[in-house]
Amino acid sequence: MAAEQVVRAEGLRKRFGKRTALDGLSLTVPQGQLYGLAGPNGAGKTTLIRTLCGLLLPDEGEAHLLGWRMPSTRVRAQLGYMPQDFAVYDDLTVLQNLEFFGELYGLHRRPVRERANELLDLVELSDRKRQRVGTLSGGMRRRVSLAVSLLHKPRLAFLDEPTAGVDPKLRRSFWDHFNQLADQDVTLVVTTHLVEEALRCHVVGFLMAGRMLTQGTPEDILARTDTDNLDDAFIVLQERGEATP
Amino acid sequence: MTSLALTRNVLRRIVRDVRTLALIVILPLFFVLLYGNSFSGSYTGLPIVVVNQDNGLASVRTAEVGRITLTVDLGQAFVNALDPAVFDIVQAEDAEAALASVGEDVRAAIVFPKSFSNTVVNAAVRAGGERRVEIDGDNVTLLPSEPVDGPVTALTIDDSSPLVARAMLDALNAAFATVLETQQSSLDIDSFLDVRSLYEGRIRMLDFTAPGIIGFAMTLITVMLTAMAVVRERTGGTLTRILIAPVSAWQVTLGYTLAFSLIAVFQAAELLIASVWLFDVRFVGDPGVVALIIVLFAVGLQGIATLISTLSKNEAQAMQFVLFLVIPSLMLSGVFWPLEAMPATIRPLSYAIPLTYANAGLKKVMLTGSGIGDLTFELAVLGAIAVGTLLLSVLSMRRQAYTA
Repeated sequence: MAAEQVVRAEGLRKRFGKRTALDGLSLTVPQGQLYGLAGPNGAGKTTLIRTLCGLLLPDEGEAHLLGWRMPSTRVRAQLGYMPQDFAVYDDLTVLQNLEFFGELYGLHRRPVRERANELLDLVELSDRKRQRVGTLSGGMRRRVSLAVSLLHKPRLAFLDEPTAGVDPKLRRSFWDHFNQLADQDVTLVVTTHLVEEALRCHVVGFLMAGRMLTQGTPEDILARTDTDNLDDAFIVLQERGEATP
Repeated sequence: MTSLALTRNVLRRIVRDVRTLALIVILPLFFVLLYGNSFSGSYTGLPIVVVNQDNGLASVRTAEVGRITLTVDLGQAFVNALDPAVFDIVQAEDAEAALASVGEDVRAAIVFPKSFSNTVVNAAVRAGGERRVEIDGDNVTLLPSEPVDGPVTALTIDDSSPLVARAMLDALNAAFATVLETQQSSLDIDSFLDVRSLYEGRIRMLDFTAPGIIGFAMTLITVMLTAMAVVRERTGGTLTRILIAPVSAWQVTLGYTLAFSLIAVFQAAELLIASVWLFDVRFVGDPGVVALIIVLFAVGLQGIATLISTLSKNEAQAMQFVLFLVIPSLMLSGVFWPLEAMPATIRPLSYAIPLTYANAGLKKVMLTGSGIGDLTFELAVLGAIAVGTLLLSVLSMRRQAYTA
């Protein structure tokens, strides 16, 4: 039986004034897939994620998450979202942030604490959990933000640049965790401006000027472009001007 | 040169932010217009009930023909001399009912006794001494006579607003001076008047302004605090996280409203207690009714603050929008001078300001001891503002989800 299409978007178009951020973009992501959205800054990655989550209304086209047309309140409990900015409270401690957002998802204090400890181990902040977020470095704050996004064990998570500013060792452990989540049938859409990072994804979509340059497995893209790394593949595709809506 | 570069940079950024630029240009003009209009008014349309029982006759002693009776009709002359721009005059016959009617829709009631003309004319002669006057073509010398005890003119006045009470007394004095001109005398009206204040104890200007100042402090602090907090949540991204969680816009709005209303009520209690303890501000009403007014007012302010946060891109803009609310609140809601003193052209603006109703309600309870039954209008308006702005806040909260 074919996997459920957890993310399904067709012909998404979004303009900000004269600038076209999404240019008729379509996308499908089946359940349990780790989908990487790669592209340079300004390619439209964040706009696409915000549109898929229902935070931006498209000018044209439509998006469905978990079978519901967005924006819909019905998917919220199963949706994880990590915005590009930290989006956590600087004046609360790491643990207080996790407890607050946990409460919003209807989690009780005890399960939140247990889950928080797991996630803080993952993001290597267990020894900082009673520290105010405002006193942490930028990279650490991003890790708190990631922990908050995964707190309620979402079925589908959109993570916008989760590895930006994170050191290489921890970045690798993040990607390992994303793969583990995908193995548990969690669907993840992860953006990165480090094209090479997308090698860790099941499927990669290259975004450029609001259009999909290409999408496929990393191996498939490397074969099609006759390159041995995704950075070179991206450049080749860019030069060819291949773009699929 | 570095300083100039900084100056240029600041100005360039402001010029590019159209909303801030518009606020910078409009706010001072708005302030001047409010200031000019709110100070340029005079008291108009103050309702007064007049009962004229004066028989119009004055009995005076003369050197030539002994006592004669003159028809002077000073009671009616007084009524005619009342400035129709200041007073909305209603003539009545029942003195007791007229005096008792003050306080509701009537600001003052004056009853001229039967002997009013007689008392005034004889007092004028006593003050001016012997004098020759022409009566029916004959010259006679009027002689002062001993004062006779009799009923005095009764004036009951609503003194809940010291400024209005003073304005009414000034206008009555002016009318009296006009009447006395006919008697070639300049007596003080106080010697003929038995002035009864509606409320026990003197209401000072401090007492009059305290309820409005408390409401104003609530407006300033609460709206600023809420608007800034919501804008900060939005610009920091935490509002997006909240709105993408399985919570409704209703729940989010209610959460914020509860938190900031509690703060507002705490502040109002602090302001009230400090005012009464430190400055002996008059408080003769039921604290429960005051609490009800404050809660409704606080909820309404939360709604307005949330709306302001929707309109503001950042905290600086929110601050400027808050000024657009607080400056008219201070000047037009009857805090320092009653609405009756404002030009009719600007009065509709007063009725659009929530503090107008909170101030009126608080004044009624604190200064005159009005109960909940006397405040149905103020409570209904404050309740409608609270519900209306809460509904709009929910809608604006939904909108913030898409603009965060």
